[in-house]
Amino acid sequence: MGFIDKLQDIDRRWVYLLTWIFVLFPLIFPLGLPVPIQSESTKWYNSIKNIPDGSVVVFSPMYGTSGMPELFPMTLATMHQLWSKNVKIIVVTFWAEGALVFDMLLRQMDPSAAPYNKVYGTDWINVGYIPGSEPAMRAFGEDMAKTAPKDYINGKDTKSYPIMAKINSAKDVTLIVTIETGTPGYPEWLRQWQEPYKIPMVVGCIGVSAPGVAPYLQSGQVSAMLPGLTSSAEYELLINRKGLAIAGVDAVSMSHILVVLLVILGNVGYFATRRKS
Amino acid sequence: MSNILRRIEIPIILTIVATVLQVTPYYIEYKPLDDAANWINLWVLLIVAWATFIGPLSLIQVHGKTVQRRSSGWYYSVIVLVATVVMAISGLPLQEWGLGTKNPVYSWLFTYGQTALSGTMYAIIAFFITSAAYRAFRAKNIESTLVLVAGLFMVMSNAPFFTAAWPGFKTIGDWIFAVPNMATNRAVTIGAALGAIALAVRTLMGIERGYLRGGGD
Repeated sequence: MGFIDKLQDIDRRWVYLLTWIFVLFPLIFPLGLPVPIQSESTKWYNSIKNIPDGSVVVFSPMYGTSGMPELFPMTLATMHQLWSKNVKIIVVTFWAEGALVFDMLLRQMDPSAAPYNKVYGTDWINVGYIPGSEPAMRAFGEDMAKTAPKDYINGKDTKSYPIMAKINSAKDVTLIVTIETGTPGYPEWLRQWQEPYKIPMVVGCIGVSAPGVAPYLQSGQVSAMLPGLTSSAEYELLINRKGLAIAGVDAVSMSHILVVLLVILGNVGYFATRRKS
Repeated sequence: MSNILRRIEIPIILTIVATVLQVTPYYIEYKPLDDAANWINLWVLLIVAWATFIGPLSLIQVHGKTVQRRSSGWYYSVIVLVATVVMAISGLPLQEWGLGTKNPVYSWLFTYGQTALSGTMYAIIAFFITSAAYRAFRAKNIESTLVLVAGLFMVMSNAPFFTAAWPGFKTIGDWIFAVPNMATNRAVTIGAALGAIALAVRTLMGIERGYLRGGGD
């Protein structure tokens, strides 16, 4: 078996080693590869930019720690843009770890400090995790304070905060921002919130979930989608706040280059062997 | 009396009532019906809250037995049990006792244990995807060549390195995403929805009994 023939059957351990090198190298030594801004991130950016002042936004981190490498950068960036605006934000999650993910976000950015200067309970509130998946989402849409009687940060009556004085149900919400990895996720938001109350919705998701969102994007039920780390990096450039996604996007490029190279090599080996036989 | 309560018709009737109550408000606007549906919906939340206890109990039962019998890998079960107990106790919502999600022990375990481990498990997929793409994308016949070409374009359309080199990669990737992918996904979604409707009708008619006593009468 010659060298070219062997190309179609490289030992998987070599493939793993190459993957490791191609991902790790740009993380340690950033290459600064170009990141062209595409339509997905622009739509996402504009969806948030165009929210009218005084609107109510429901922000939902619907993922756990396993989704953090891909989704946490866009969560940070989106909250940065939301807190930079004059909108009321209700943070809620129907994923057990979602509330803890948001805790980690609060350790990295302080909404009460400049440039945001947001007051908890007046400009935003975190009601934390509500168990019960889709039925809980429906109940929260019907009556927020009844479904989440205490807030997550202070454990006080949700209704006692000024922000909740005029917000009772999903009817008072202008936009749903959900960042997610699975179930419950956008299909449940569509069934229980978007369709019944006709609320615009944007979905941030991991790259592999993106194809499933396509029909809802075309139907207009999902206004914008931010898939994966590459789009997050573009979004960070749009809001002029380079962060975790920009730091990781070189690794995305390099790993994709490796996949393309390996596929080409595999096919060269395959055709060389076939020609001989 | 107990024989009456054990009759199979009772859970079937309960299922029918609960389902009809959830479905009809979508088609008929009548407030009492809507209120009743919301009321039933709240029951679900209560049931789910109680079901939460089943998870840890089952986990302790399974891993407790493994440790007791010294089965293969029993020491991993010890780690699971210790982590479960420590996180459950330190995470109890009793802020006045210093417990809860802000408890230092809970916070440390979550940040430096669970987050790091979950991220690692997720990242391992990169190795498998690369290896799988290398082995699967072979131009052996027309069908596999189509998969190969579409797959490569999707890979390249998602990597800024390629789209910066030639924006056409993104255009082609977007077309694959918005036309063939969307059409296929829509077909799958509609097919699954029709299947769900058929299953619901069978369940309501009492034909589908998989959820009752393991399907037996």
